[in-house]
Amino acid sequence: MLKEYVRFTISNIAARKKRSMLTILAIVIGIAAVVALISLGYGLQNTIDEQFELMGTDKLMIMPGDLMSTFMGSGTEFTQHELDIVQRVNGIKVAGAMIYKVARVEFRGDTKYTYVSGIPTDETREVIESMQNFNVVEGRDLKESDTNAAIVGYLVVNNGFFEKNPEVGDKIDVEGRSFKIVGVMGRIGNEGDDTQLLIPLDTAREVFDEPDKIDIIIAQTEDGYDPGSVAEDVSEALRKDRSLKKGEEDFTVQTSEQLMDTFSSIFSLVLMVVIGIAAISLLVGGIGIMNTMYMSILERTREIGVMKSIGAMNKDVLTIFLIESGFLGLFGGAVGCAIGIGIAKAVELVISQQFIALKTAVTWELIAGALLFSFIIGIISGFLPARRAAKMDPVVALRYE
Amino acid sequence: MITDLFSIAYRNLRRRKLRTFLTLLGIVIGVSAVVALISVGQGMQMGINDMFEGIGADMLIITPGGGVETGVTPVSSGISASKLYKHDVDVVNSVSGIEHAFGMISDIAKVEFRGQVRYLMIFGVPTDKESKEMSEGINLFKIEQGRRLDAGDQYKAVVAGVVARDFFDKEIEIGDKLLINDVEFRVVGIQKKSGSPIHDRMVAIPSDTARELFDKPEEVSTIFAKVKEGVSPSEVAEKVERAMRDDHNVDEGEEDFTVESAEQMISSLNTILAAVQAVLIGIAAISLLVGGIGIMNTMYTSVVEQTSNIGLMKAIGARNHDIMLLFLLEAGIVGLIGGVIGVSIGIVLGKIVEAAAVGFGIDIFKAAVTPELVIGALLFSFIIGTVSGLFPARRAAKMNPVDAMRYR
Repeated sequence: MLKEYVRFTISNIAARKKRSMLTILAIVIGIAAVVALISLGYGLQNTIDEQFELMGTDKLMIMPGDLMSTFMGSGTEFTQHELDIVQRVNGIKVAGAMIYKVARVEFRGDTKYTYVSGIPTDETREVIESMQNFNVVEGRDLKESDTNAAIVGYLVVNNGFFEKNPEVGDKIDVEGRSFKIVGVMGRIGNEGDDTQLLIPLDTAREVFDEPDKIDIIIAQTEDGYDPGSVAEDVSEALRKDRSLKKGEEDFTVQTSEQLMDTFSSIFSLVLMVVIGIAAISLLVGGIGIMNTMYMSILERTREIGVMKSIGAMNKDVLTIFLIESGFLGLFGGAVGCAIGIGIAKAVELVISQQFIALKTAVTWELIAGALLFSFIIGIISGFLPARRAAKMDPVVALRYE
Repeated sequence: MITDLFSIAYRNLRRRKLRTFLTLLGIVIGVSAVVALISVGQGMQMGINDMFEGIGADMLIITPGGGVETGVTPVSSGISASKLYKHDVDVVNSVSGIEHAFGMISDIAKVEFRGQVRYLMIFGVPTDKESKEMSEGINLFKIEQGRRLDAGDQYKAVVAGVVARDFFDKEIEIGDKLLINDVEFRVVGIQKKSGSPIHDRMVAIPSDTARELFDKPEEVSTIFAKVKEGVSPSEVAEKVERAMRDDHNVDEGEEDFTVESAEQMISSLNTILAAVQAVLIGIAAISLLVGGIGIMNTMYTSVVEQTSNIGLMKAIGARNHDIMLLFLLEAGIVGLIGGVIGVSIGIVLGKIVEAAAVGFGIDIFKAAVTPELVIGALLFSFIIGTVSGLFPARRAAKMNPVDAMRYR
């Protein structure tokens, strides 16, 4: 029975090729836009999540000022004093400090401005490196005896950042002081991180003339401690030291999980707005299906009258038209899905070459969801027209011209 | 003639109410989405422009640090390793075309008021007569109550209106005492709200006092320079760059400072905003495309339904282009009516977004409803209608009258 319905539907759709094609085209456009945006959006989110996961969930980030002031510079200052406090908190395994500045970097007469970070070379180095996704892929890492040694981001040596690409062993100047490149970091995935230089903390203090300042403290919690509650303890210890009440903090303590959550929630919000705007076109496409179905029913009034007079029940007529509109949606969904994925892949290619390694997320759930959704759009749009067809009085319908 | 065609087209549409309504709905949704996004976007842009224009188009702003290759330009001096000094102010002042330049020093400090502690940006502003007069012209530093810092003031402060009203439990009033980094200051003035997030969170104190307080005897964070009347700010900006390059002994492209005119700042910000807007409007415009396809579909059906009518019209003397015009008009009317309703709904949506933003405390923008937007949207929707109707209308026009009349 269902098979017959489907065959009937297909022959009906085929009978009015142009109209069906245009109706389907409308759905194709909408679905393609939404599918492309979703797969790109989630691909981007996955890339970001991976980066956060590499940090590990047992890390804390402690910064002076609120999140805003990290971008504005300054903020209240942290010094060795705050680092000591953090290190004394119960549950903190190790805590390290970092400073960073935008500095003048010169290689063979070519000058650029980029971020230069001072990182510790003692045992706290590892916690910072893992939090920031630093890993050395060429040459060696900084070691304790290093003073004028630097490791550089992937793009510094690979992408024509300077007129000549530097190599391990070359000399590079930071704010007029000469450093030897001892290692190159692997690609992190964003230009800011991949064009930075890391130098030993003590040297950085001299170069930047910042004897005590600390820009960020990164800590690792002891196994078996909940990072969230350790973060609370750190926050309390710092408040006590600065005699601040709760809610008046002039610093920020975040676990890697909180950081990830904050980021994800902002990102999802943006994604939702964009997808929502794209989905408007699906609504318009659905209205198109409804319109087509009304027209189709009007044209086939006599046919409906015949069907009813030879024994078709209201339910049968309803089903026939619902299947027809559902199919319009489904066809549109299938083609739209394919085109949407194609668009996403094309964007992936462009972005991966120019910016960050991005992998579009084309999951079965997305494809199945998009098909199901377009089928449902078809059925919902077809419901009112189909009900009108089902409720026709056969006598009146037969008389219709 | 055209009025006849018009009334026929209109009657045709009236006859198929449901279909026309649904086709219209498609266009209405698309147009209202696009109009709402444009009005909100433009409003935001205008808000930001106003803010920058407050600085003055004849103003140059010089900050330490060169442009970072990666596009992550440090917003303030704190993060840059390069520095500017009092000496640089003299260099800028010596450039011909500069009327006056002054340096400001800024840093974040602990501000205590009636036992409550907040961390705020402190600006050390020069109090000599010329600098004072110049800063009077800058919208970011307009005074609402009390007075400006004067020569001879030492431990006096001017606070931003937002800080005075919202940052502490008690409102700060003229004559109140503040502790900045544990030093007592008396409030002599309250600044007008400027809309700039940095300058609405600031406290101004005399620059000499600030230098002492922050222990930065020579440094300046930002240099404001006013260009003489009648000279082009961008030309003077280049001259300033050249003079500072010579003084700092660096080559072009390797500057450890940035000279920007207010104009440049507006234009770089506008570029970003325009790009974001273009993407969003582009996505919303997809629904207009879909709506256009809807019109095309309806028109094809309408042409098929009226085949015998078309045959008749042709038989009694209608020419191809009359038929073409008739159907184009019909499609255009659908587009236009959809546009009118869509624009109205879009404007309302924009106002709702504005109200919501104000509710969240963002009051820098007003949804902008310009005549250009309204006329543009109407014209555009009419064009969408006629373009979508083009193929169906051409099919109708090309019909063979004999076949058409025979069609059932």
